Amino acid sequence: MNCQVVQENLTFYLYDELGAEERAAVEAHLGACTTCARAAAELRRLRALLDQRALPEPSPELLVRCRQALEEALDREAASWRALVRSWFVVPPGVSALRVTTALTILLLGFSLGWTLRPRAGSPATPAGRAESAPWVGADLANLRISGISQVAPDPQTGAVRITMDAERQVTLEGSLDDPRIREVMLYAANRYNNPGIRRDTLEVLRDQGDNPTVREALLYALRYDANAGVRLEAVEAVQGIAWDPDVREALLGALRTDDNPGVRAAVVNVLIEHADDEMLPVLEELASTDRSPYVRMKCARAARERAQN
Amino acid sequence: MDGACLELIHRVPGANPQLDALEERALIRQAQRGDRGAFEQLVRKYEGSVLRLALQVVRSEEEAKDLYQESFLKIYRALGRFRFESRFSTWVYRVVMNVCLDHLRRAGTRREVQAPAPAAGSDPEPVEFFQTVAEERPELDPERALQGKEVGRRIRAALARLSPRERLVFELKHYQGMKLRAIGEYCGTSEQTVKNCLFRATQKLRAELKEIV
Repeated sequence: MNCQVVQENLTFYLYDELGAEERAAVEAHLGACTTCARAAAELRRLRALLDQRALPEPSPELLVRCRQALEEALDREAASWRALVRSWFVVPPGVSALRVTTALTILLLGFSLGWTLRPRAGSPATPAGRAESAPWVGADLANLRISGISQVAPDPQTGAVRITMDAERQVTLEGSLDDPRIREVMLYAANRYNNPGIRRDTLEVLRDQGDNPTVREALLYALRYDANAGVRLEAVEAVQGIAWDPDVREALLGALRTDDNPGVRAAVVNVLIEHADDEMLPVLEELASTDRSPYVRMKCARAARERAQN
Repeated sequence: MDGACLELIHRVPGANPQLDALEERALIRQAQRGDRGAFEQLVRKYEGSVLRLALQVVRSEEEAKDLYQESFLKIYRALGRFRFESRFSTWVYRVVMNVCLDHLRRAGTRREVQAPAPAAGSDPEPVEFFQTVAEERPELDPERALQGKEVGRRIRAALARLSPRERLVFELKHYQGMKLRAIGEYCGTSEQTVKNCLFRATQKLRAELKEIV
């Protein structure tokens, strides 16, 4: 390899994008040519400089906001004309578009033929006349979301059809948080509902009810076990307002030791330093040197210092 | 590439990188039949790397959120046309790359080199985006912080002068460690084109930053 070829390949050499043979040739050349070795050193310094740009870490709050926005957009999408058209013309995977087009064409031809041969004015009416609307069994369909149809059973004698559907109706509950039914739903939503945005919103509402033992348990549960860091962060904020006792302290120290999100751990330190409790001091001192995040280490060190001084 | 991506995703809370190929295939089929829950599980798998890339190419969380939403909406709309002829991850990232490229083209370089608008009531001096998210808080060493701020400003300005495609290729290669062949697949172009982009990007950055290298 000559100098020009080597210098053209230096970028790929340093980014490990050369084959073994080319790599060996570049290395051999660099060992013998000071000009190319200098160019390689300069490129290495450039890479090191560019590494100084810290990569932005998506925060849990941002992730929650993104998911909520996407969910809303998908809801709008589901209700749009686009979804309607798609539901009419969906082509299942494995079925060629040509076959679907052919089927549609045959359907259209059949319709045209039927239209041409339809009974004209003056021809005898069908004995059945206009079809009767069947009554809905159970309830009207307002606000009903159909998630599946489990049975379609025609009755050849009457011509009626029985359709059995899995459906859910939208229900709005409104009342004070003192209402046990409202609270029950809120507690369910806070700890068990599968939408993290809703869990987070629920915790935000419940944070003012921290005096209630059941709510308090729900907040501590979310802090310890919720899978979503944004929800755990909200739980930390909510726990800040509840009465301090060993349970609360242990839940917070547990989160500080084990939560895998540095934003949550940093928020826990902010809550801990609000309380004059010497039991937390050894944990803060330990994490001031062992936490994986430099920022959390710094916060723990500062909190431990302040705690020791007071 | 998948290893790099999984590592990136793993650091995002709530992400679900654990789906294996069979599970993913089943979820895709369910999602194609209109199952929103299945689609959301697929989103969980890829959202980490999508959001991280979005944050790299735009200047604000709001814009990153828009890119996230636009990417997944496009995926949702086009999912019915996915025929399992390529890997799903390749197909997903190709959509995301196109969204990012479109954004970079729309934004243009003029806007990229501008300082971000300060929030109401905040210090009017522009704050480096990556300084606001770095964990090494600058107050520990003001001199180093000042130096870092200047270096950061120069790097950002240099990156902003790359063409949208060069910028994207460089971000994916240098900061996400992807192989050029994978980048080519995701951008829907050849490995050679990506190689040329990386070479040009490096040359431009070298020229832009030579005073501080």
